[in-house]
Amino acid sequence: METQYWRSLAERENPSELARAAEAEFSENPLQQIEPGSSRRGFLKAAGFAFAGAALTGCSRAPVEKAMPYLVQPENTVAGRAQYYASTCGACPAGCGLLAKVRDGRPIKLEGNPDQAISGGATCAVGQASILGLYDSLRLKQPLAGGKPSTWAEVDREILARLRADGAVRYLSGTITSPTKQAAIDRFLGQFRNARHVMYDALSASAILDAHQQTHGARVLPHYRFDKAGAIASFDADFLGTWISPVEFARDYSARRRPPEMSWHAQFEGRMSLTGSKADRRVRTAPDEIRERLAQLAIRIAKLSGADDRFLSSASARGWQTTNDDGLPHVAERLWEARGRSLVVCGANAVHTQVLVNYINHLLGNYGATLDVEHPSRQRQGDDRALANLLDEIKTGRVAALFIDGVNPVAELPEAPGFDHVGLVVSFAGSLDESAERAHYVCPDHHFLESWAGAEPVAGLISLTQPVIRPLGATRAVVETLAAWTGQPVNAYDLLRQRYPAQWDRAVEAGYVAMEAPRAPVKPFSMAPVELALAATSPEPAAGYTLALYPSVAMLEGRQAYNPWLHELPDPITKVTWDNYASVSPAAATSLGVSDGDVVRIEAGAAVELPVVVQPGQHDRVIAVALGYGRKASERFANLGPRWIDHRPSVNDQGRVGENAAPLLAFEQGSLRYDRAGIRIAKTGRRIELALTQTHHTLTVPQQLGGEVRPIVQETTTAELGKPPEPSEQREELWPEDHPYKGHRWGMAVDLNACTGCSACVVACQVENNTPVVGKDEVRRRREMHWIRIDRYYSGPSENVEVAHQPMMCQQCDHAPCETVCPTLATVHSDEGLNQQIYNRCVGTRYCANNCPYKTRRFNWFNYPREDRLANLVLNPDVTVRTRGVMEKCTFCVQRIQEAKIEAKVLGTPVKDGDIRTACEQACPAGAIVFGDLNDPNSRVARLARDARQYRVLEDLNVGPAVRYLKIVRDGGQAGRPVPQGDKKNG
Amino acid sequence: MAEVCSPLRIPLIAGHKKAATVTEDVCRPMLRPPSGLWWAGFTLAFSLMLLGVAAVSYQIATGVGTWGLNTTVGWAFDITNFVFWVGIGHAGTLISAILFLFRQKWRTSVNRSAEAMTLFAVMCAGIFPVIHTGRPWLAYWLFPYPNFRGPLWINFRSPLAWDCFAISTYFLISATFWYVGLIPDLATIRDRLAGESARPTLRQRLFAVFSLGWSGSYRVWHHYEVLYLLLAGLATPLVISVHTIVSWDFATAVIPGWHATIFPPYFVAGAIFSGIGMVLTLMIVARKVMNLEDYITLRHVDAMCKLLLLTSSIVALAYGTEFFTAFYSGNPYEQFVFRNRALGPFAWAYWIMVSCNVLAPQLLWFRGVRRRIGIVFALSLLINVGMWFERFVIIVTSLHRDFLPSSWASYRPTIVEVSTLAGSFGLFFTCFLIFCRILPVIAMGEVKAVLHVGQASRPVQETTV
Repeated sequence: METQYWRSLAERENPSELARAAEAEFSENPLQQIEPGSSRRGFLKAAGFAFAGAALTGCSRAPVEKAMPYLVQPENTVAGRAQYYASTCGACPAGCGLLAKVRDGRPIKLEGNPDQAISGGATCAVGQASILGLYDSLRLKQPLAGGKPSTWAEVDREILARLRADGAVRYLSGTITSPTKQAAIDRFLGQFRNARHVMYDALSASAILDAHQQTHGARVLPHYRFDKAGAIASFDADFLGTWISPVEFARDYSARRRPPEMSWHAQFEGRMSLTGSKADRRVRTAPDEIRERLAQLAIRIAKLSGADDRFLSSASARGWQTTNDDGLPHVAERLWEARGRSLVVCGANAVHTQVLVNYINHLLGNYGATLDVEHPSRQRQGDDRALANLLDEIKTGRVAALFIDGVNPVAELPEAPGFDHVGLVVSFAGSLDESAERAHYVCPDHHFLESWAGAEPVAGLISLTQPVIRPLGATRAVVETLAAWTGQPVNAYDLLRQRYPAQWDRAVEAGYVAMEAPRAPVKPFSMAPVELALAATSPEPAAGYTLALYPSVAMLEGRQAYNPWLHELPDPITKVTWDNYASVSPAAATSLGVSDGDVVRIEAGAAVELPVVVQPGQHDRVIAVALGYGRKASERFANLGPRWIDHRPSVNDQGRVGENAAPLLAFEQGSLRYDRAGIRIAKTGRRIELALTQTHHTLTVPQQLGGEVRPIVQETTTAELGKPPEPSEQREELWPEDHPYKGHRWGMAVDLNACTGCSACVVACQVENNTPVVGKDEVRRRREMHWIRIDRYYSGPSENVEVAHQPMMCQQCDHAPCETVCPTLATVHSDEGLNQQIYNRCVGTRYCANNCPYKTRRFNWFNYPREDRLANLVLNPDVTVRTRGVMEKCTFCVQRIQEAKIEAKVLGTPVKDGDIRTACEQACPAGAIVFGDLNDPNSRVARLARDARQYRVLEDLNVGPAVRYLKIVRDGGQAGRPVPQGDKKNG
Repeated sequence: MAEVCSPLRIPLIAGHKKAATVTEDVCRPMLRPPSGLWWAGFTLAFSLMLLGVAAVSYQIATGVGTWGLNTTVGWAFDITNFVFWVGIGHAGTLISAILFLFRQKWRTSVNRSAEAMTLFAVMCAGIFPVIHTGRPWLAYWLFPYPNFRGPLWINFRSPLAWDCFAISTYFLISATFWYVGLIPDLATIRDRLAGESARPTLRQRLFAVFSLGWSGSYRVWHHYEVLYLLLAGLATPLVISVHTIVSWDFATAVIPGWHATIFPPYFVAGAIFSGIGMVLTLMIVARKVMNLEDYITLRHVDAMCKLLLLTSSIVALAYGTEFFTAFYSGNPYEQFVFRNRALGPFAWAYWIMVSCNVLAPQLLWFRGVRRRIGIVFALSLLINVGMWFERFVIIVTSLHRDFLPSSWASYRPTIVEVSTLAGSFGLFFTCFLIFCRILPVIAMGEVKAVLHVGQASRPVQETTV
């Protein structure tokens, strides 16, 4: 028998009870404790059931998405790989060549076609933004009859039934650069006895064509060659911003302004334009003084040329005396010195004025050199006189059928034509604009990215448009519609291909084809109109306020009013978004008793009420107002932006963005006049808080706070160019050398002298990087999301102000202040010198943004709505869409860097300089932005980093920015020829 | 403890209290239903807190955009409130730890409530770093915790990470210190409640649990005193470290106006200044409402006013030094920031700060002022306002105009931010009022130890409960 040991007396006394207790001590089976009687098996069953139930309820809400593989894989289609198709931009008649980037069947980005002459690889802000129009959910998806959706067959039948051969048929369109389309229109109109095609441009250059009709015997628009111009005088022509073909002009202009050989540029203008901001010499000139100035210039140049006594004698007979007070002598000298390679351009839409311009260019021998009239431009063909006649016909009920193609006369013309007396009005508008709304039928055209078309922007250059996506709605190309109504249905592709059969494949691939164009029938220069122009010009100075109506860089004539990117793009000069406004000079503001945001009423026939923006550098008599605003298309922005208790809408009381200034236009002597003398302006007492992205406009700090000038933008002069740079101070480095950058070291160089401030980069970046639009209220709160901004600084006295544009993006600092302060390591340094932002690690303390000396970081204050499923198709799949509460910033387009590196790795070659082009660099017409590898001594960026003009912003902070800026070069005279002193002061 | 008892000393506790009276006086408010005044205060504070809860809920649901911040001014009310509340939280530890080590016997009347105030202030402060983030639900990523993301650690170079340690350490130590100090008093109340009913009520049980079986024996007292002394030693460096680290949030940045080596001592002095200001505000109200005039005497008020005067002078010196440093540095950005503070768009805030923190406290040089409760109360309120503005000025005026003039912007708070600030005050006073109801606001055990000071004519009291 075993010995029974007992543990306590109690156990010995009552062994059974204690044994039970001892058992219980170690029987802590939790499952048994849950519920008496339940087993482990039972528990697992219950748990499993509950778990499955929870999982099932969780699953029920997930949308069913079907991913189906191709049954037959299309050739060359690799998922996730972009394809580029050459095409032509349809946002304006300039006809820039494009490469449309297509990912998985949808175009997501437009880039300039480097081989095409107009684009040269660049685009403008409007062109960049125009891709959003493709995904515009308010575009018409089928034809409309009487405002009701209809079918093409029905619409065709009804329209043909209402067309009679004897009625007056008028086809009103914008400039048509496409020979195919022109032929189609001609064929269509050929069916009628009384038919006419009237072209007009909302931004008219009709007077230039008319003036050449008078002086050269051919109604042509010269092809301006800024790349050949060593001296430029521009009279109110904003050729870097909006005038005729700004991408081409900006590129050519910049090419001639690379130091040390720099062209010289004088700008005479009333408002401050982008072009004026780049001029070496800017003379404030009201629009009503321009002709007088041109006459003066003509007289001076005629004197210098010593050739034309007849003109001079008639001038002196009319009391013209040359004065010395207006900067003209210097301008005349510079132009004359550069004769044969100088260029005088003028934006005024007045025939007499343009005749004088032609005369000056003729005297300077510029025809055939910087102005090509034999191979003219076709980018503006509108005829204001024909338009005026048509409007008259419409008013008096003499038009039976009116076709409106690519224009919006109701919103663009001074007096909206009434269609009551027109039997049939057909619009080809892609969306229901002001004119289409009043049309009997709307036969929507494709978006240009959906259509086959050809354009001939300049004689001899055929630029092709090819579709990069199947039409999203049941739209139809205008040429096809017209062909259907002509009784010979044909599709646009065949039509185009028949026209260029020989070069077809090559042309589609390249996007353009150069053809021998017949020389325009130009006659020798005729003096008679010059005499007339001089006779019509009064040497008397004008007085009173003058209204200058101009196209803004973002809105142009207003066809882009649907585009939120362009509304949020700050005006390059005033930095105002989401509004148009009346800009006045500081002196005028004082005398009117207004300041920024005060609403004034401007009366010139019609009246508009607009907030004031005080604009340094503006002529004291000029009130400038941008066209293209207050459009119906902007009504869609009523609910834009984050919605919360303190939210204010992006639209005004009328539900639109800005006010339409077109009613202030007028027809004068057969031309659409953009300047109006003798207007009335009065304060209304209301105020509007404008949405500005920059509210301090100079690098000089306020006087009472020190008044020093910050060396953020640095300048040099032409005279100092050759001098060696001062050796920079060598300082001891406290940072450890823990970033060896063994492979690549990405860097950027921005040439401030080249940058025109056109803002193409800003929109390009927005498209590339899926940057949200935040709306007027958020911009007003200074929360715009652009990763690249263009800082604009004024210097000098307000009447003779100098302007500097400085693109500012993340500087990718070597010792980045943002990196050290992020508590979660959401922003870190790459071994290639990039400052990386890891969105999903960011909790949003905003410390990094506070600590950024350049303030280039952007915070997602809200979940910015992306509710438009169609518009979301434009998103770049290579770039994450950021959520609320996350910091973001310029990445140097890291997705492009990766793509190029992968490509190089696959090919087994090193990444070549120029293989990687950031979106901003790619879009820049001026070539001001250069990206590359600083470790490669031969790369463009490394060379620029050694340039004598290079500096880094806030270099003293030793944050080691990877962006080099090249100083602006101001006209400081050349060796042996200083800038005339008296010249600087006036203007 | 051996005491030097001089008949010349002014008594610390007035009214010739006996130990029993002390217990009676302190426990009285806890053992009877709250007064109408308390209810009024509580309703107001609780309503403010609910307003704050609504504002914060709305902000978390909608986005930080509901605040008036922008790309240039990324912090304003949020971090101002944070630094303000952390500063308020400094007085408690100062009074309980540093003054304890310096044997400042007068602290006994105020240390309990000052410590409670510290805890509530740090709670208020702790809210702001969490809600100021863009994604508050991920704010725990600021702590280094074991994880499966690599593992991914925090950035130990970031002052915000240091903040997490500093504030949480401070809260833990302060809470421990406060609780340890409470134990003898909890036992007193436990004992007083003992005879109330046959079955122990919840309240009795709680007091029984939290008094940790306190028996009042000499041995227990001895352990207690040693522990208290050690904790005081441990907490003392924290008084310096917490606000030093908070000041590094700014001092390690490159932004002119933030990047200054003077910040740690400047911030610590400012914190003590604001903390004592807040203690005075609360004490002056409490002594009146809870009839504690005998415990919190004019002498206490006077002593705290002297501390105010000292810290105000340090703060004033710091203000002047900042300007001198800017001038002497020759750095135009630095110089601009300070000119901009005094003359720029936020000059009004700067001059509120200077008037409240430097000019107004100069009155405290006068003994008559220091002993006039009404004036001291008004001054303490002004100091609270001034110190809030000090943080606002440092944060907002430095950010709103930094290096690139293109980015200069302004700042205006939204209703949501103002409500959040009001809510933090609501939370603070709600907690404090509840504290006044359920716990002894005066450290009975400690007060009893100093009853005899200045009362040599009386026999030395036993210090048992």
